[in-house]
Amino acid sequence: MVEITLRNLRKTFGEVVATDDVNMVLEDGKLSTLLGPSGCGKTTLLRLIAGFYVPDRGKIFFDDREMTDIPPNKRNTGMCFQNYALWPHMTVFDNIAYGLKMKRVQGMRYTKAAIAKRVHNALDLVRMGGLAERTPHQLSGGQQQRVALARALVIEPDVLLLDEPLSNLDAKLRNEMREEILRIQGELGITTVYVTHDQIEALSISDMVAVMDLGYVQQYAPPREIYDHPQTLFVADFIGKCTFLDGSIESLGSELEIRLLDGQIVKGISPLEGYPFEMGENVRCAVRPEDLHVEPTNSNDNRISGIVDHVIFVGSNLEVHFSVGEISAVSLLPPESNIQKGSEINLYSPTSQMMVLPMGGVDALRKIPGHHLYDVSDESVG
Amino acid sequence: MGPSDLDTDTEKEIPPDYVPAGMEKARPSIVDIPLSFLRALANLFMGLGRRVIAFGKWIVDKFLRFFKFFKNPGENSRELWYRTKTSLSAMRHEMDLLSWVQLGGIIVIFGGFLIAPLLSVVWGSFVTETGFSFDIIIQLFSSAAYVPQWLPQDFNWIRPTGAGIIEIWGIDLGIILNSVYVAIAVTVISVILGTTFAFIIARYEFPGKGILRTFLLFPMLSTPFIGAMGIKWFLGAHGFLNNIANELFAYFGLHWTRIEFHGLAAIIIVQGFSLFSLVYLNAYSSFMGIDPSLEEQAENLGATGFKLFRSVTLPLAMPGIQAGAILTFILSIEDLGTPIVYSEDLQAQKCLAFQVFDSIKAESGEINPLGPAIGMILLAFALTGFLAIRKYAALRNYASSSKGGQWNPRTRHLRRRSVFLMYLIVIPVLFFALIPQTSVILLSFSQYRSSALFPPLTLDNFNILGNRRIQGAIIRTIGYAGVATFGTVLLGVSAAYIISRRKIPGKTSLDLLVTSPIALPGIVIATGYFTLFYNTPFFPKNGPMFLIIMSFLVRKFPFTVRAAYAGLQQTPEVLEEAAQNVGASRNKTFTSIVFPLIGVSVLAGALLSFVYCVSEVSTSLLLGGANYYQAPLTFWINETYAGLPPIYGIGPAAALGVLMMLLQMIVIAVTNAILKTRASAMTGI
Repeated sequence: MVEITLRNLRKTFGEVVATDDVNMVLEDGKLSTLLGPSGCGKTTLLRLIAGFYVPDRGKIFFDDREMTDIPPNKRNTGMCFQNYALWPHMTVFDNIAYGLKMKRVQGMRYTKAAIAKRVHNALDLVRMGGLAERTPHQLSGGQQQRVALARALVIEPDVLLLDEPLSNLDAKLRNEMREEILRIQGELGITTVYVTHDQIEALSISDMVAVMDLGYVQQYAPPREIYDHPQTLFVADFIGKCTFLDGSIESLGSELEIRLLDGQIVKGISPLEGYPFEMGENVRCAVRPEDLHVEPTNSNDNRISGIVDHVIFVGSNLEVHFSVGEISAVSLLPPESNIQKGSEINLYSPTSQMMVLPMGGVDALRKIPGHHLYDVSDESVG
Repeated sequence: MGPSDLDTDTEKEIPPDYVPAGMEKARPSIVDIPLSFLRALANLFMGLGRRVIAFGKWIVDKFLRFFKFFKNPGENSRELWYRTKTSLSAMRHEMDLLSWVQLGGIIVIFGGFLIAPLLSVVWGSFVTETGFSFDIIIQLFSSAAYVPQWLPQDFNWIRPTGAGIIEIWGIDLGIILNSVYVAIAVTVISVILGTTFAFIIARYEFPGKGILRTFLLFPMLSTPFIGAMGIKWFLGAHGFLNNIANELFAYFGLHWTRIEFHGLAAIIIVQGFSLFSLVYLNAYSSFMGIDPSLEEQAENLGATGFKLFRSVTLPLAMPGIQAGAILTFILSIEDLGTPIVYSEDLQAQKCLAFQVFDSIKAESGEINPLGPAIGMILLAFALTGFLAIRKYAALRNYASSSKGGQWNPRTRHLRRRSVFLMYLIVIPVLFFALIPQTSVILLSFSQYRSSALFPPLTLDNFNILGNRRIQGAIIRTIGYAGVATFGTVLLGVSAAYIISRRKIPGKTSLDLLVTSPIALPGIVIATGYFTLFYNTPFFPKNGPMFLIIMSFLVRKFPFTVRAAYAGLQQTPEVLEEAAQNVGASRNKTFTSIVFPLIGVSVLAGALLSFVYCVSEVSTSLLLGGANYYQAPLTFWINETYAGLPPIYGIGPAAALGVLMMLLQMIVIAVTNAILKTRASAMTGI
């Protein structure tokens, strides 16, 4: 198994920058997810790792072997394509055996018997034993997915690359296959890169998540960290729900004081360590719906007042949508709360849960000394 | 009670204040439909004009870019250097040895046997023994035969003869304008026939649709060359049509004046009936390619019937119809077969293609210096036309428009009365449109010079197949076409693969290069072979064989390359990436994944290339003249046609034509079966 190091990667298509300034270490045996909306560059990044694209700049290492210019067929990665890419003119067996037939080690190749054994082991691994002689169009979506997975795994790749593997399946199958992938990944302990646009999927299966937008990795961290301490506004918005309150900085310190547009003052903490906030700087406060409470837990808590727009009963909770001035906000309250549409509401949020973030995306990260993007921007300016 | 009463009735029901302000009385549909039909037709030709103008702008733009380079040479050459460097490094990544060999092969073959001969024609029309000059061009444009003389007799197109026959001729505007107006007339006929048939087939369900559709495939079967022989006989003063009209009139005690078409008028009729299938096929695949939801949306907003057709369907199908129209124009202007068949009318010789043919004495290799200059004019028309539709004809567009069966196209069941009405119009039109084919078949089974209304049937004409010279020609032709097709497959798959899969600079030009032969006039290419290669190892005196094969290869290349490209487009690239991902090299991927998946498409394309090689006319006639015993079948059909009965002559020539049509029919049936919905688009151009 290998550790993948991406250093300063940039890839453009003509004028369009698909991905830029990527610096990541994908750890050995871990499942790392590239998460983001469509067009954010996540598939580009995966294909750079697989070798289908050559980066304009930067380097790719598997452990300490540089792979940047190695063609895809020499990288020993196993990739599952979004639409499975099963060859329609071959049976399931031939599809899976193909990679083994290609394999040469010092002029040696697999015997027929060895190939058959490995293919059947792989089929058993994905629980598809007995379907070897089918052709791809005789298989259901879930079965095709399993064959694609078996084909990628049978060559004992150093890295498993999964490009939105579940996006073509229905909801029930998707859960099943997600479990299946986790099980296999756990059993084999293989370094895995997983591309998805589904945040729930990403949070639930990953050891590490890289949230991407506009070609940049906005944050690369464990799921919990991503949820609790989003580094950019995009991450806070994309992962989970958030209410955003605009304001400007009233006082600096470990706790920041923010004057909201309607004059209310709130206190909060920035999840961005080392960001040089300035007095009067426009910022945005983000607060999760579950961090807004009916009763204050502490006298220091922020109070946020608004008018209730509508209330949705979602079973375990009440989802209350309300307006703070021009801003629409949302909170999750206990189901027993008695809240009427049109009434005024006062909610409380602990200072520690009020996340203060600078405006802008990656450009804000560039201002943080010590952040890997900081040096790059410095170079380009200088 | 009249319609006006009805009007007042509705006015009573809907009070005037119900009508929102700013409305006026709409035209009744009786007036509206023909009016907008005319407008649609006008729009089509204006669209064609705009395309040509856009092409002109494109050329000017390229030139300006070229000159702008010298305004700021320092920075621009640095830029150029940088661009070359990045493209070279892209090339290095994308290309391996096999790709280089493939690309090299294509460039050598097309450069040597397409571009170089054409350039030599252009060269030959400017450079004489005395050096560079415009003498030949000036001579051409000052010659009475080439430019309009505006003499009264030139416009005399109805000529009664002493024998009580009315002859219809074309007007004579000099060789250059003759070719142009004939081609425009042919295009108009083709657009009207082709679009109407395409729309009926694409949008209506009615009994007998399958039969109509099969009949409409027939016009593709023969080149104007074969069709012309049949039509000349069929529409002749004592041909089938005049005979039958005469009998009918006599039955009612009336007198029928026999009508006969001659010269340029005859060429218009023959080409119009033979070439409308180009527009039909392109329009048909455009109609079928329209996303039904676009029409449904319009219907949802209240457009129905002709209004819907005019406002949504037709504009969406317009690129296809225009491309078909331009190709018809090009094929008409470069068609050599029809003028040759009608060449006993001196007027029929007064067109560009025939003049080029006439300027070369193939047996001696002697070339009238005017020949290349006329060829250059033809080339200019063809190139302008092709480049104006370059985007439509390009592989990349072609493949995306030929993905049949993504959706169920909207078709409507016709009511019985409408079906009857439609048949009333369609059947006579179809009867005329199929004359080129039916007449050749009829002719091949008819006794020579029988004046009976229904000539006695005979198989004598097919005795020509026993002729040793003809047998030789048939075997030779199959050999030539076979070798050429092998070459097209080898190079065609390579070209398609490079264009669809390699991200290299200059792909658009390569695409343009390999698709251009559909539009480049064969007669000019053949002229180029004479000016460039005559009396060299490629083309020894009496030895046109090698160049006949090369001309087949280059000219019928687009069919194979298109089929291969379509196959590649339907094979997702991830299938190849998946193979590389598990360790297969590029070459291995090509042999084990790509080729098995596109093999069938390539086979279909190859069959088409083969059959179009066999029926190729213009280069065969010109090059074949250098040595009869190396000449292909079409040359011998012409010889047979010109020869004396009963061994040679019109009947045996028709028999050979039928043989050729049979071969084409089989191949088209097979490709249709292989390619299903894609076939119509592929055979289209």
